[in-house]
Amino acid sequence: MSVDMTAENTTPKLATAGDYVELLKPRIMMLVVFTALAGLVAATGVTGQGINPVLATVAILAVALGSGAAGAINMWYDADIDAVMTRTSTRPIPSGAVPKDEALTLGIIMSAVAVLLMWISTNVLAAGLLALSIVYYGWFYTMVLKRRTAQNIVIGGAAGAFPPVIGWAAVTGTTPLDAWILFAIIFFWTPPHFWALSLVAHKEYEKAGVPMLPVTQGAKATRNQILLYTIILAPIGLAPLATGLGGWVYGVVAAALTLVFMYFAAKVWRSEAGEPDAGAAERKLAMSMFAFSILYLFGLFAALIIEHGFGLYFAIGGF
Amino acid sequence: MAESKPPVDEQSELQLKAQKRRNLWLAAALVGFVVIVGVSTAIRIQETDFSGGDRLYFSGYLDEAEKEAADREAEARYDALKAEEAAARSEAQETGDE
Repeated sequence: MSVDMTAENTTPKLATAGDYVELLKPRIMMLVVFTALAGLVAATGVTGQGINPVLATVAILAVALGSGAAGAINMWYDADIDAVMTRTSTRPIPSGAVPKDEALTLGIIMSAVAVLLMWISTNVLAAGLLALSIVYYGWFYTMVLKRRTAQNIVIGGAAGAFPPVIGWAAVTGTTPLDAWILFAIIFFWTPPHFWALSLVAHKEYEKAGVPMLPVTQGAKATRNQILLYTIILAPIGLAPLATGLGGWVYGVVAAALTLVFMYFAAKVWRSEAGEPDAGAAERKLAMSMFAFSILYLFGLFAALIIEHGFGLYFAIGGF
Repeated sequence: MAESKPPVDEQSELQLKAQKRRNLWLAAALVGFVVIVGVSTAIRIQETDFSGGDRLYFSGYLDEAEKEAADREAEARYDALKAEEAAARSEAQETGDE
């Protein structure tokens, strides 16, 4: 579906530094940086290998730049649908603050700089994974999946799952099982996280012609899928305890957060959230689950940073 | 005779100011990039053990076993080199004694 609402036919306004920052999707960037940092810190704690603090800082900067670059490319491609949805209509391109071509140029240059910095500061594996994650989000998710399939979030979720693996590879030059467990946590967390939001915003996606699950399969199927993915996520969130990646602190935090996440998923499943006649209470419930899912991911990765970065790791199991 | 200044509308003046600000940010980013590359390279060169299996910019492995094998190979090469040197030294010593 093509929507004739691009930057060309909106009133141009002068771009501020804030517009360029917004182009880089700073909130996503923060989560990406945080999870990459957790991967990096956990790798030093588990393997005992060190990384020069300056090089570690440059590596994290490279991850931030890569995330921003992918965000700019995403905004360039999605300018037409962003203009249609109320939530995204004030973004820099549909508002006319930043020309489309400029966003694409910024995205491409920043991608190259990010990968180069990662390579120079760490190793070719971390740089290759960073390049892969940028291409995965900027091209595969944005241009191939998002407008074609209701599984866009599931498959595309891998893009957001790469940062801890990149952080781990930056330290060790390898990607062992523990790194991929962190990948799996984010991968299986993404669908319930995003679908909780889409239960509230599905009309907007419908207006823009984006085949989100509630638009194509309905609210009930989406609530079922949210519950299913949360059930799958629960043991994966606790898997670091089995490999020894997570200790007591992680165990307590993960157990508590998993229980609450399951509670929210069950409550949303039993509710009418996303239905045409859903009331304010249902919308509030879906938004509460969305907000809690962010806290869940933050809590798990913060626990890893606390354990491995501050010497508070006390093993439970492990092999 | 002094030429009269062409009228500049407020919008283009604001655009020019915004462009100058952007140029300054770009310049700062370029300087930052050069500094980061320079410092990172210096640190990497200082930390790299060129006598062993370290490769400055190609040291990533998808597989832990592959890395361990490469490290073992590098160690074996290093040991062989040392043994060769030791043999040459002892040979030289023996020749000198004779």
